[in-house]
Amino acid sequence: MDVRRIFPALDRQIYGKPLIYFDNAATAQRPQAVLDLQQRLCVEACGNVHRAVHKLGADATDYYEAGREAARSYLHAPARENIVITSGTTASINLAATCFCQRFVRKGDRILISEAEHHSNIVPWQLACERHGATLEVLPVDELGEIAVESLDQRLRKAEGRIKLVAITHISNVLGVVNPVEEVIAVAHKYDVPVLLDGAQGIVHEQVDVQALDCDFYAFSGHKVYAPTGVGILYGKKRWLEAMPPYMGGGEMIESVSFEKTTYAPLPLKFEAGTPNFVAAACLAPALETARLLAEDPALQENQRTMRDYLLEELPRIEGLRIYGLPRDPARKIPLISFAVEGAFPSDLAQILDKMGIAVRTGHMCAEPLLHRYGQTSLLRASLAPYNTLAECESFVTALHRAVQMLR
Amino acid sequence: MKTIQEIQADIVEEFAVFTDWMDKYEYLIELGKSMPLIEEKDKTESNLIRGCQSRVWLSCREEDGHLYFAADSDAIITKGIISLLLKVYDGQTPEAILAADEGFIEQIGLKENLSPTRANGLVSMIQTIKGYAAAWRVGAKAPGQPSAEGEQAAAKNELEADIVVALRQVYDPEIPVNIYDLGLIYDIQADADGQVFIKMTLTAPNCPIADDVVAQVREAVQDVPGVKDVQVELVFEPEWTTDRMSEEAKLELGML
Repeated sequence: MDVRRIFPALDRQIYGKPLIYFDNAATAQRPQAVLDLQQRLCVEACGNVHRAVHKLGADATDYYEAGREAARSYLHAPARENIVITSGTTASINLAATCFCQRFVRKGDRILISEAEHHSNIVPWQLACERHGATLEVLPVDELGEIAVESLDQRLRKAEGRIKLVAITHISNVLGVVNPVEEVIAVAHKYDVPVLLDGAQGIVHEQVDVQALDCDFYAFSGHKVYAPTGVGILYGKKRWLEAMPPYMGGGEMIESVSFEKTTYAPLPLKFEAGTPNFVAAACLAPALETARLLAEDPALQENQRTMRDYLLEELPRIEGLRIYGLPRDPARKIPLISFAVEGAFPSDLAQILDKMGIAVRTGHMCAEPLLHRYGQTSLLRASLAPYNTLAECESFVTALHRAVQMLR
Repeated sequence: MKTIQEIQADIVEEFAVFTDWMDKYEYLIELGKSMPLIEEKDKTESNLIRGCQSRVWLSCREEDGHLYFAADSDAIITKGIISLLLKVYDGQTPEAILAADEGFIEQIGLKENLSPTRANGLVSMIQTIKGYAAAWRVGAKAPGQPSAEGEQAAAKNELEADIVVALRQVYDPEIPVNIYDLGLIYDIQADADGQVFIKMTLTAPNCPIADDVVAQVREAVQDVPGVKDVQVELVFEPEWTTDRMSEEAKLELGML
């Protein structure tokens, strides 16, 4: 497959140099099929979903529901009712945290997260805990970037039912390490504790099967898997979604409204108040189809491993460079590499790399507690996609050497 | 001493020789490296300006009506740009600093560095420099006496200047100008023991959010290092009028 051809943005020149896009963990580029559908829907099916009898509205609804079906199928969820369409991972986790805690968390209870979470899987729980007099408990991460899963059993046993939910990232956006989520889920379920997985990165790099995993919630964003921004998914088991109260009130989430009593729509619409970003949601279909094709192409998968291994070998040749997130089992590392270089501040490096046409991410990467744990305030991250090439990795390493030299 | 405009023109001329970005960045890196560091004791939480990408520290001292700045950043290119900004502002009078703009940064092709999206702390740093200038502006009233010309209470020492900078972060929720530039602060007295007294008013005597604003003032001032105790007195004599607003405030509200 000529993967570069299906992503038109990759042809760009930046300051007269070919773009090397290594910030895929922030947002991925979009394939032509997504761009086409996006434009076509704006022209041919710009009606409101689930409300209209006219043709445009009916078509919009069909496309929107096709997006939901694509997500269901990609996650291998049992039914449409398990798939709530949101605006992104952050919205999905906020929904889950607010509604789950409202129903199941009381004063003195606890929510367990890990030290390696993105702010989006910390702050919603913090807010919910504050509302209900609960506290947040943190599972530590070791020097190599692995969570202390071995302590989970004891922790849950000692909690005697006070830990109401475990919320953990499938793959950290900083460390690029695939967490042992199967083990976390098995242990948590031993104590009847549900598990939410933050799948913002996991959806891109793993074959997610929510039934095989047996997770209780799975949250992800469309724009990291080649869809437009503004759409995300919250998968939830029916037993939880049915028990949870609605999130926002408004249009489409109701069954009937009167000033005395309102009854709510059945799942999943109960959680989808207001007009959704139906164009972006519809684009989940071609986006996830692209993701599937890329994941099933053995050459592209091999290329991702080659690029990862190349960077893991070449980067440490730069004096004073330290990589964060090197799991004991190297197969658990995705092609996402965060590092610091002594004597060269990340944002300085990134500014120089930008002038060379290379896009990388720097800063605290929305994971301040994790960076703090490693004594850093800022890191530089290169995150690759299947459309990146080994030649780009070589250019990146050369450019990085040069940038470090300029700064020292 | 050269004026701000002259120094800016010098910098623009200096940068004209760089034809490619690499040389320009190398020069900025050199400037960043050679810049005198802020003293470790001044690298405090209150002098810290947090950006998402990099952090900036800034301190200010006054001598004979001129302001002197020291600054640092953990990012060297940011530091290079700070060094250009300080070259322009260091040793100038508060009035000159308040009247200046930073257009020269655009002329030397570094505008993107002053974009708020860069989140490198530079935009906030410039605001803080202007905050110190506003605090030290001469011609303000004598201590304890609301001035006839309706000027704001000005700083008489460095603690009071820090307090003014903190007060400029407090807003009346209905007006997009901070309470200091609105002219709501009638008096600031800070003694060496950190005992602070603030006399202030509100735009209207029956302001429904009076308690909130006073609480915010107390909180903001309490957080200034060196402050031990804050007393806030709310008065409605003399009555506040729009004449008490600073020039910038009037400009912001479209009154000029």
